[in-house]
Amino acid sequence: MKRRRLLAGACAQCAALASAGAWAQSPASAPWTAPARFLRPELTTDEGGLWSLMDREEGRLRRSPFLIRDAALRDYLQGIACKLAGAHCADVRVYPVRTPFFNASMAPNGMLQIWSGLLLRAENEAQLAAVLGHEIGHYLQRHTVDRLRDAKARAAFGTFLAAFGVVGLLGQMAALASAFAFTRDQEREADAIGLALMRDAGYDAREASKVWDNLRAEAAAAPGGDVALGSPMFATHPPSEERSQTLARLAAEGGPGGGVGEAEYAQKLAPIRFSLLEDEVKRGQYGESLVLLDRMIRRAPELSDQLYFRAEVRRLRDREGDLDVAIADLRQATALGNEPAQVHRSLGYIHQKRGQPAEASAEFARYIELAPDAPDAGLIRTYLLQGQS
Amino acid sequence: MRIPYRALVALLAVAVAGCAAVSKVDSGEALIRNRLVVQVANPWNQFERGLADDTPTWTHEGITVDALQFYVGVRDGALLAPTPSGRKGVEPLTFRASMQPADVMALLQSLLTRDGSSFSLDRLEATEFVGARGFRIEYSMVRKLDEVRLRGVAFGAIRNGELFLINYSAPRLAFFPKHAAEVEALARSAKVRS
Repeated sequence: MKRRRLLAGACAQCAALASAGAWAQSPASAPWTAPARFLRPELTTDEGGLWSLMDREEGRLRRSPFLIRDAALRDYLQGIACKLAGAHCADVRVYPVRTPFFNASMAPNGMLQIWSGLLLRAENEAQLAAVLGHEIGHYLQRHTVDRLRDAKARAAFGTFLAAFGVVGLLGQMAALASAFAFTRDQEREADAIGLALMRDAGYDAREASKVWDNLRAEAAAAPGGDVALGSPMFATHPPSEERSQTLARLAAEGGPGGGVGEAEYAQKLAPIRFSLLEDEVKRGQYGESLVLLDRMIRRAPELSDQLYFRAEVRRLRDREGDLDVAIADLRQATALGNEPAQVHRSLGYIHQKRGQPAEASAEFARYIELAPDAPDAGLIRTYLLQGQS
Repeated sequence: MRIPYRALVALLAVAVAGCAAVSKVDSGEALIRNRLVVQVANPWNQFERGLADDTPTWTHEGITVDALQFYVGVRDGALLAPTPSGRKGVEPLTFRASMQPADVMALLQSLLTRDGSSFSLDRLEATEFVGARGFRIEYSMVRKLDEVRLRGVAFGAIRNGELFLINYSAPRLAFFPKHAAEVEALARSAKVRS
């Protein structure tokens, strides 16, 4: 144990030096050195109280039904966080959480939550590292403690704690997060530190701005076409054009190079990708989901399940022309093979809606053949019986 | 079971803000929104306008525990439930008369998961409801707010272009089994007053 601590301490110095070096290479930024590992604050202090509260939340999170219990994925994510956190690796504990919104947050005690909506949206390891690096940047600079003290000064401590409880109603979370958002300077600082950590960990820092570009494209497709508050993270991290441009500029100043890790990321996500896409469609946010799925299909056109989900979004949205495009996707999914059984159910529904009972029955029959125990098999069998009568 | 403290606080705040009026629904025949008639076996507590969603909601155990909601005569183009204030850029939950049962289920699913709760379908089958060809949904969910595991059952039908939907959910271990049969009978008794 002592040896491990010693090694961690030595790594801390290496990482600090490396980060400082990378930081110094950026002419736009002041030199920055990663702090030494944080000691647990005294319980009698405000920071100690906050840690204690977060420890309790972390205990709850470990038992949470929303925790994604995929050991391989969690180890992989922990590895990414460790690469970024350097000497602080031993203090960072990663928890992937099943919630289909783009969000990650890091508590002062080292609890790092990554929501499944972020996992689905990151295109590669480097993009995920950009978001995690940013959050770790807030952690290293102890911005949350600053927020706590600011809230206390404004006699708003109770609301601050409420904001840091388990993320409840998203709208409420967004409002609270907005009320206690990091300052613009803190955000800029976390962005710059995140980029430095990315570079130190060997990632291509140019991927960072793409995260926000992609989010802006999704937000533009939401009703109103404006940057949305659909994700709680948007309340504190507006995906503005200015932010993307600044990140791109800072990344360019750091020079080219670094890995992206697309193949490994896709491989690690593969076991849960279908369920993440199911959760995405359940949101009913059709415009955003279509932008996301268009992007995913451009990157991996050979995956029939992605075509199914895009078709399903269009089938449910059912605007003019949607069903024709959905049929084309479903046919393409079938042609690719290994299509999910639900492809045939979707085709059945579309034919049924169009008054084509024979075609609908054929597709429904195929669905039941492939998925006889599906939870909606009862309804589909009724359709088949009605088709026969 | 975890005490739904956060749910209680949040819903109390909503209730106070909206001055939600509670009344008693006695045994016998009950009329909802002047359209839907149901036979009530045991008295319920009624929130006539629900909690900030303008949906008549009944409860036996308390509104943070079990809830029976009535969507009565939702017309083509109308919303199943209003979009929460403070949420921008969110697709409205619009009902269309051309919807199939699975589409209505997807709409209900979007409503129930928009706070980040999880939803999984256990059973979807055809059934008669309000004198029309309808459907019955069984589902499980975990409420994001307090991580309580719920079970739910919903009955729906589109009748003359209008949606009639009854949805009941309660914690899965004690309260759902306690009241499920009563809710089932209530739904089977539902009729539309023309």
